[in-house]
Amino acid sequence: MLRTTLKNLRSHLRRLVSTSLAVVLGVGFLAATLFIGDTMRGSFDQAFTEANDGLAVAVRSQVQFGDTDIVSQNGTVDITLADEIRQLDGVDAVQISIEGTAQIVGANGDPIGGGGPPTLGRNWIDDPRLNPYELAEGRAPVAPDEVVIDRGAAEAGDLAVGDTTTIRSPEPVPVEIVGIVTFGDQDSLGPSTYAAFTTERAQELFVGDAGAADRLLVAAETDVDHDDLAAQVAALLPDDLETLTAAEVAADQLADIEGDFIGFFETMLLGFAGIALLVATFSIHNTFSILVAQRTRESALLRAIGASRAQVLGAVALEAAVIGVVATTVGLAVGVGLAQLAMAAMDAAGFGMAGSIVLSSGAVLAAAAIGVGVTLVASLAPSLAASRVPPLAAIRDVATERTSASKGRVIAGAVLLVGAGLALLTAPSAGDGAPARAGLAAAVVLVAAVMLGPVAARPLAGALGRPIAALRGHTGLLARRNAMRNPRRTSGTASALTLGVAVVALFTVFASSITTSIDDTVDRSFGGDLVVSTGFGEAALSGDLAAAIGELPEVAAAIPLGSAVAEVNGEVVYPTPTDPAGLEGVLDLDVQEGSLDDVGIDGMAVGTRRADDEGWSLGDAVTLDLADGTQEVLRVGALYNSIDLVGDMLVHRDMWSAHTAQITDVAVLIDVADGVDLTAANVAVTGVSERFAAPAPQDRDEFVETAAGQVNQVLGVVYGLLAVAVLIALMGIANTVSLSVHERTRELGLLRAVGQTRSQLRAMVRWESVIVAVFGAVSGVVVGVLIGWGVLRAIAEAEGVATPLTLPATSLAIVVAVGAVAGVLAAVRPARRAARLDVLQAIATD
Amino acid sequence: MLATKRYGQGDAAVVALDRVSVELAAGRFTAIMGPSGSGKSTLMHCLAGLDELTSGEVWLGDAQLGELSDRALTRLRRDRVGFVFQAFNLIPTLTAYENMTLPMELARRAPDKEWLAEVVKVVGLGDRLGHRPSELSGGQQQRVAVARALASRPDVIFADEPTGNLDSTSGGAVLGFLRHAVDALGQTIVMVTHDAVAAAYADSVLFLADGRVVDELHSPTADSVLDRMKRLGS
Repeated sequence: MLRTTLKNLRSHLRRLVSTSLAVVLGVGFLAATLFIGDTMRGSFDQAFTEANDGLAVAVRSQVQFGDTDIVSQNGTVDITLADEIRQLDGVDAVQISIEGTAQIVGANGDPIGGGGPPTLGRNWIDDPRLNPYELAEGRAPVAPDEVVIDRGAAEAGDLAVGDTTTIRSPEPVPVEIVGIVTFGDQDSLGPSTYAAFTTERAQELFVGDAGAADRLLVAAETDVDHDDLAAQVAALLPDDLETLTAAEVAADQLADIEGDFIGFFETMLLGFAGIALLVATFSIHNTFSILVAQRTRESALLRAIGASRAQVLGAVALEAAVIGVVATTVGLAVGVGLAQLAMAAMDAAGFGMAGSIVLSSGAVLAAAAIGVGVTLVASLAPSLAASRVPPLAAIRDVATERTSASKGRVIAGAVLLVGAGLALLTAPSAGDGAPARAGLAAAVVLVAAVMLGPVAARPLAGALGRPIAALRGHTGLLARRNAMRNPRRTSGTASALTLGVAVVALFTVFASSITTSIDDTVDRSFGGDLVVSTGFGEAALSGDLAAAIGELPEVAAAIPLGSAVAEVNGEVVYPTPTDPAGLEGVLDLDVQEGSLDDVGIDGMAVGTRRADDEGWSLGDAVTLDLADGTQEVLRVGALYNSIDLVGDMLVHRDMWSAHTAQITDVAVLIDVADGVDLTAANVAVTGVSERFAAPAPQDRDEFVETAAGQVNQVLGVVYGLLAVAVLIALMGIANTVSLSVHERTRELGLLRAVGQTRSQLRAMVRWESVIVAVFGAVSGVVVGVLIGWGVLRAIAEAEGVATPLTLPATSLAIVVAVGAVAGVLAAVRPARRAARLDVLQAIATD
Repeated sequence: MLATKRYGQGDAAVVALDRVSVELAAGRFTAIMGPSGSGKSTLMHCLAGLDELTSGEVWLGDAQLGELSDRALTRLRRDRVGFVFQAFNLIPTLTAYENMTLPMELARRAPDKEWLAEVVKVVGLGDRLGHRPSELSGGQQQRVAVARALASRPDVIFADEPTGNLDSTSGGAVLGFLRHAVDALGQTIVMVTHDAVAAAYADSVLFLADGRVVDELHSPTADSVLDRMKRLGS
C-alpha cells in the first residue's frame, strides 16, 4: 500500500506541487510572523539586559498611570533621596534619571521617527554603568541648549555634531548637537530616537520641578549583592516609592515594547496568517475531493483486489501527510526567507534590526504542527469518501462524486444561517456583549454560507454566466454550463475566495463607514473653521500654541484639546482637558443636561452613556486620583451625547495644568473672526504654527481627509496582508480548473474535432474560471457586507458611537472586478494546457 | 503520390499506412473494413485532418490537408467535415439541439433553418431535442451525433464505428439514418467498421490489411462482406 501511495505521488508531481503551494504560503506567512516576533523580542531582550548591566537598583514611584500608547504619567521621586542612598554601604553611585518625549527635527525641517515607536527624551547620565548609550562622537551636553542624539536619528535627519536644530518637547527647543551616541554597538534602540539634555534642562523640560526625578539609578560596588542592596534602599523609601532590580527594569521595558509594538503587530499578523491558513484548508479540501473522485476507479480496483477500507483510507491520508510534511518544510524555509526580508527591510528603514533570525523550537514546532494538521484535517473527509468506494465501482461506471449538496448539509447550513443571522440581527440587545456576540455570529454566518454554497452555485453561476453566454456565443454558453454542471465543485472552489473576499469586504465596509461617520460628525458638530492637530504618534502640540493663535486678530477663538490620565475608583480614565465654556463656540456636543458654561476648574462634563454606566448624574461629585499623588473632586456640570471628537470626559485645562509638568495639546480648534477671509486666517495661523514647530492648520475638508487618510492607510496594510489569502484562493481555483480540464479531456477533444479553435477552447476555460471566481467574489462581498452591517450595529450599541453602514459601491465593485481578473489569471495555465491537447489522443476510444 | 503513415523511428517504427492510394466518391457511402491494426482508423484520421501523413497527400476537394495550418485545419473540420465517433459524441452540458448546431455556433455562422428543420425531421427525435445527452438512450445519442454531422452540410462525414456500442436494433436505426442521408440528401459518408452487417449499408467497401488496401467490394451484402473477410483472414 505504501509503495502504491508513493508511486501515486510521484506520478502526479505537478499536481502535488500546486496543491502544496497553498500550504507553503500559509505556513510561510505564519512562520515568518512567529520568527519576526521572536527575533525582535530576542534582540530587545538582549539590548535591555545589556543596557541595565551596570544597574543594581532603580527607584521609582508606584504611581504609574496609563498606557504608554496614548498618554501616561508617573509619580516622581524626590532627588534628596539620592544623597541618603549614597550613604548606604555598597553603593558606588546614584544618578537621577529623567524620562520624557522629545521629537528631533531633521535638517530638512521634518521630524525624525515617531508614528508609533518612542521618541525618547532623557537627561545625559555620565556614569556608563547607568547609561546604556555611549558617546561615539563629540562630547556630553553641558549647556542648556546642548544635546546628544543617537546615530540612527542623526543619519535619518542628516544631522551632525555642531549642527543646530529644534527639539519638540513638545515646546520647540532650539538646540545645538554636541555629541552623537550609540546604544551599545547599535546606532539606535530599535526604531526609537533618543535625545539627551543636561540633567537640569531635562528636569525643567520634562518634570518641571528641579527637586524631582522620574527615577534614581543606583550602581553598586563590586561584590555587593543587588537584592540585599535593594532591600536596604527600600527601607529608606516613603510608601509611594518602590525599588526595581536590573532584571525587573529590563522585563518592564520589554513588556512596554511588547505591548506597544511587537505584541500588536504579531497579533495582527497572526490573525491574517490564520485567515490565509483557513483559506488554504478550504483550497486543499477541494483539491483532495476532486482527486479522490477522479481516482474512484483506482480506489475501487484496490478494494476489488483485496485492500481493506482502512488501507484505502490510509493511502489517501498518507498522501495528504506527505504533502503536508513536504509543504510545511518548504513553508518553514519560506518563512525564514520572509522573516529575513522583513528584517532587512526594517533595518534599511532605520529600525536597527540587525542580527540573525531567531528560530525558536516553539515557533518551528507550532508552525509545523499547524501546517501538517491543516493538510490532514482538510483531507479527512475526502479520505473517508475514498474508503467508502464500493469495489463494484471498478467495473461499473458508478458516479461517486456528489455534484450537489447532501440534504443533511443543506439543512444544517440553513439552520446555522438562520440561527446565526438572528443572533447577528439581535446582537445589539446584548449591550456590552454585543460585539462579541456579533463577531461569533458573523463567523458562523461565514461557515453557513460556505455550507450552503452548492445550493447557490447553480443559480448564481448561471446568472453570472448569462451575459457571457450572450456576448461570447457558444464559447460563453459552454463556459457557463461547465460552471453550473457541478455546483458542489464550483462552490468548493469558490469558497476559499469567498472567505478571503468576505474579510476584504468587511474591512472595506468598516473603513468607508468610519470615514463617512467622521465626515458626518465633523459636519454635524464642528462649528469652527480651522484645526491644528497632531497625527498618530506625532509629538503633542505646545500648550502655548492655542493661546498664541487666539491672540491673532483674524481668530475669534482657539480652543485647545489636550490629553490627560487619571484614575477614578482605581480605573484608568483619559479625560480631555479643554476650555469647556469656549468649546461650545466651535463644537456642538449635543448637551443633554446642564451647560458647558457651568464646567469650571472644579467641574467636568461627561458623555451621557458613561454617566449612565457609572451612575453619575448632574451635580454629582467625582473624585479623580492623579499621578502626582493628589486628588481632585469635580462636579458633573454637563452631560453630552457627541463623544466622537472629544471623548466622553471633559475637564478644565487649568485643573489639569496644576498637576502636570508640562501642558500639551493634541488639537486646537479655531473659529475665524467674522468677516475675515479663510485663506488669510489660514496664512496667519500657519505663521504661528511654524513658530511652535507644529503642523500647519487644516480646514474642515482637509481635517476629514486626514482622518480618512489614516483609516485608508490601515486599510492598505490590511489589503496587503489579505493578498496572501486571496493568492492562495486563486491557486485553488487554478488547481480545480486544471483538474476539471484533465477530467474532460475527451470532451475537449470532441470539441476540437468538430471545429473549436484553440483560442475558442482557451476562452471557454478562461470564462469558466472567471464565472467561478466572480461567484466566489460576489458571495464574499455579500457575506462580508452582511457581517459588517451586523457588527457595526453591535459596536454602535456597545460603544455608544453610532457608525451607520456605508456601502462603498466603487470599492466593492473593484473587489469583484479584481476577482474576475484573478479568474482570468488562474485560468492561464490550465487553458494553455487544454489548448495543447492532442485531439487524436483525447478522442481515442480507450 | 502514395500516402504513408509511420509511427516512431528506426527499428521501432510501425508503418500504419503503407503507400495507400484511395479515391472516395462524393455522394456515396463508403465503408472501410479490416482487422484490428490494419490501419483503418489511421486512414480515417488522416483523411479527416485529425492526423498528419508521414509522406503523401490528402485532398479534400481542392484543399491539400498537409499544407494547412492547425487553425486552417480546425476551420476545415468545422466547415467541411462531420464526425461521428463510437461513443462520447456529445457535450454533456449541451442539449441535443445545441449539440447539433455546435459546429455552426463555433463558426458563429447562422444555421440554415430549412435544412436544419429537414435534419431534425429525419433524425426523428421530436420533443427530445431539448434534453441533455444523459437523458437520451445510446441509439438516440448516436442519431444526434449523425444529425450534428449533417447539420452543417459538410463535404464529407467520417463515422468511426458509429454502432460499436449499440444493440442491433438501435444500431440498425442509426445505419438506416446514415443510408437515408446519402440517398435523400446526397451526403458523402465514410465509415470505419468491423461489423459486416454495418458495412452492408454502404455503397462500397474498402478492405485494409497491414496498412494496405487489399480489396474493394461494390454493392455489398452482409454475406458477401463476411465471405471477403474470411478469404482475407486465410
